[in-house]
Amino acid sequence: MNTKSLFWFFVGFVFVSFASSLWLLLSSVLTVMPIPLPYWLLYTPGNIVAAGAIVMALMLALYAYLGVALVINGLRRGFVPITMVFAFIIGIALLLARLAIPALVILVIAYVMLIGTYVVIISIATSRAAKALWEAAAMVLALIPPMLMIGGLIVIDYVRYMAITEQAMTIIASAIEAWKLGVGGG
Amino acid sequence: MIVLILAITSVIIIIANSIYAIPSLVAYSSIGRFGEVGYYVSQPMPGVPPGLLVRVFLINGSVVEPVNAFIDVYANAPSGIVHVAMGYSSTLIVPFSNVNWQYVINKWVLLGLLGVSPSDYETSMLIFITYMKGNESWILPLVIPYNVAWAIENSRYIVVNAFINVNSIKPSGVVPAMPGTTSVNLQIPSNHSGYTTYNCNLNPPKPLPETTFKPEIACLGFNGSLPIAWATWDKDVIKNDSGLEIVLTIDFWGAIRWDAMATGYGDIGTSYSALENVFLGYSVVLSSQVTRSSPEYQVTQPGSLYWYYGGATWAIVNYTVWFVNSTMGTYHLSNATVFEVLYVPPNDHYIGMILDYGNGPVSLLYYLASRHYLEYPSSIVNYAAFIYTGQEYLYECNGPVTNISIAYAIHLGGLSTVYGLGPAQLGTTLTDLSLGSEGLGMPPPQASLSLTGVSLELSNITTGMNLYVSVINASAIYGLPAFGFILNATTFYGNPTSVTCKYGKVTRIG
Repeated sequence: MNTKSLFWFFVGFVFVSFASSLWLLLSSVLTVMPIPLPYWLLYTPGNIVAAGAIVMALMLALYAYLGVALVINGLRRGFVPITMVFAFIIGIALLLARLAIPALVILVIAYVMLIGTYVVIISIATSRAAKALWEAAAMVLALIPPMLMIGGLIVIDYVRYMAITEQAMTIIASAIEAWKLGVGGG
Repeated sequence: MIVLILAITSVIIIIANSIYAIPSLVAYSSIGRFGEVGYYVSQPMPGVPPGLLVRVFLINGSVVEPVNAFIDVYANAPSGIVHVAMGYSSTLIVPFSNVNWQYVINKWVLLGLLGVSPSDYETSMLIFITYMKGNESWILPLVIPYNVAWAIENSRYIVVNAFINVNSIKPSGVVPAMPGTTSVNLQIPSNHSGYTTYNCNLNPPKPLPETTFKPEIACLGFNGSLPIAWATWDKDVIKNDSGLEIVLTIDFWGAIRWDAMATGYGDIGTSYSALENVFLGYSVVLSSQVTRSSPEYQVTQPGSLYWYYGGATWAIVNYTVWFVNSTMGTYHLSNATVFEVLYVPPNDHYIGMILDYGNGPVSLLYYLASRHYLEYPSSIVNYAAFIYTGQEYLYECNGPVTNISIAYAIHLGGLSTVYGLGPAQLGTTLTDLSLGSEGLGMPPPQASLSLTGVSLELSNITTGMNLYVSVINASAIYGLPAFGFILNATTFYGNPTSVTCKYGKVTRIG
C-alpha cells in the first residue's frame, strides 16, 4: 500500500476545509465592515452557494483521487468513492436539468456511498484516534437523514450541530492521519 | 504539524460561526432587481457598531463594482419619517446608536407602552441612493425592514447591497434649476372623510447639513382607514340590477406584509408587517328604492362597501434631489415617489366595515391610482359578466366563478409563502455544500405562510340582469394583495373598446 498517495488525500482534505473556513471567516467579518469590497467577497447567499460549489468540486476531486489511488493499489473498495463522485455529479446534473425525482434517487445513492466512503477510510486509517473519529462521523452522517425525516424542521438546530460536529471530527481525523502518515511514511 | 494547526483553526472558525461569535447570516431577502438585504447576528465586531450598513454597487453589463453615490437614509416612525443619515461614499454605516434613529426607536417604544413588545414592531428604513455621472443621474429607492427590538438590543448587522444597474434603470437628465421652484406638489383633494392628512416629515433632533446635495422630502401622511378589500357599484347597477345582494368576505391570516411601492420601480421592499388573523364577511342589498321592509344593509345610491384597518398611518413620500455647485449653479437630479404603510395597529380589533359614498378611502384610492399607477392597464381585469341576450349567460372572462346554489362567488388571493433563510440553514450552508460534511444535508428553507383571501358573492341574479364585474388589483398602491371589485350594469369598468375572454367559459343560467 502506497501511503504517500493517501497522505496527500488527507492533507488535501484539511487544506480544502481550511480554505473554506478561512473564506467564511474573512467574508463574514469583512461584510459587516464599512469598507468597499468587491461583490464576490460579500457573505451573501449567492456567494455562499458559489463558494460551496467550489469546495464541493474540490472535495469530489479529492474523493475521486482517493478512489483511484486505492484501486491502483489493488484495493477494489476504491470503487466506492469513485461511484459516490459519479453519483453526485449525475445527481447534480439531473437537478440542474430540473428532473427532481431521478435526481433525488441518484443523490440518495450518492449519500449512501458517502457513508460507504467513510467506512472505506476507516478501513484504511492507520491511527486509532483517526479511525474512531471517522467512525463517529460516519454514524452522525447516517443518523442525519432519519432524524430530518422524523423530526422535520423542529430538529433542524440539532441537525445543524450534528453536521458541525461531524465536519469537525472529519477535519481533525484527517489531520491526525496526515500527521501520522507524514511522520511514519513520508 | 502544520496540517494539525490548519485543522484546529478550521474547527475553531466553524464553531465560532455556529455560536454567532463571528457574523452569521440569519435572514436574507432580495428587493427585486434593485438590491438585497442580509441580516447578520454576531458578537459586536471591534470598531464596527451594529446597525445598518449600505453598500452601493454599479452594474454595467457584466461588471459589478463598488461606486460612490449619495446615500440618504430615513427611518419610519409610527406617524412619519425622519431623516437619519446621509453621505457620499460607496458604503455608509448608520449605527443603532445614531441620535436620529434613537429618536425614531423611542417613538415606537412610546407607542408600545400600551402593552406591545418592541419585537412586535416590524418597521423599516427608507433609503434613497443617487448616482450621478456626467449629465445623467440614477435614483434608487429601497425599503429595508427591521425589527425595533434589534435596535434596542443592539444585536444585528443589517447589510444592504444596492444595485445601480445603468443598463436597466432609466437615467434622469441633470437639468439646471432653482431649488423649490419645481418641487412636486403632493396636495390631494381635502374633501375626504375617514382619514386625516398631515405632513409626515418629522424633524429629527439634529438635521444634517449638506451643501452640494440637497434632498427635499415632501411627505404626505394619512391617518385613518387603510382599505383591505372593497366592492364598488355605480348608479346603473342600482337602477338595472335592483335586488342584487353582494357579500364581501376577507380572510387574512399569518404574517401580513405591506410592501412599499415606488412609481416606475414597483415593489421596493417591505415597509411594515404584522401578524393578522381575521375572517369576516358583510352583505348589502342594492336597491333602487327603499322598501318598507328594507333591511338596514339596503343601499340605494352608488358607492363602495369596504373592509379596512382602522387607525393606520400611511404615507406618500416624494423625494427630490438637487446638486448645488457654487460656480455653476443648482441642478435638479431626479425625484422618486414612494407609497408606504407606516403603521397598522396590532391585533384584529381595528378591522372595520363601512360604506363609502364618494368621499372615503376607496374614493381616495381611485384618485391615487389614477395619478400614480393606473397607467398600467393590467391592474384592472375584466373578470366576469352576467349578460342577458334573450337568455341569461355567465361569461367567465379571466378566472373562475363558483356557483354555490343560488349564489355566484369570485375568490381572489390565496396562500403565499415567504421563504426566509433561518439560522439553522445558513449556519451550515457552506459546510453542508462541502462533501466534508453533508452534501445532501441541506435542509429546506424555513418558510412563513400567510393567507390573504378576498371573495365576492353575488346572489339574486335574475334573468334579464346585466352585470359586469371588473377586478382592480390595488397591490401596486397599498403594497398588499388588495383587491377591489367594480360592478357596472352596461359594460366593464373603463368602457374597454374590446373585451377578450381569456378564461373563456360561458354558462347558460336561469
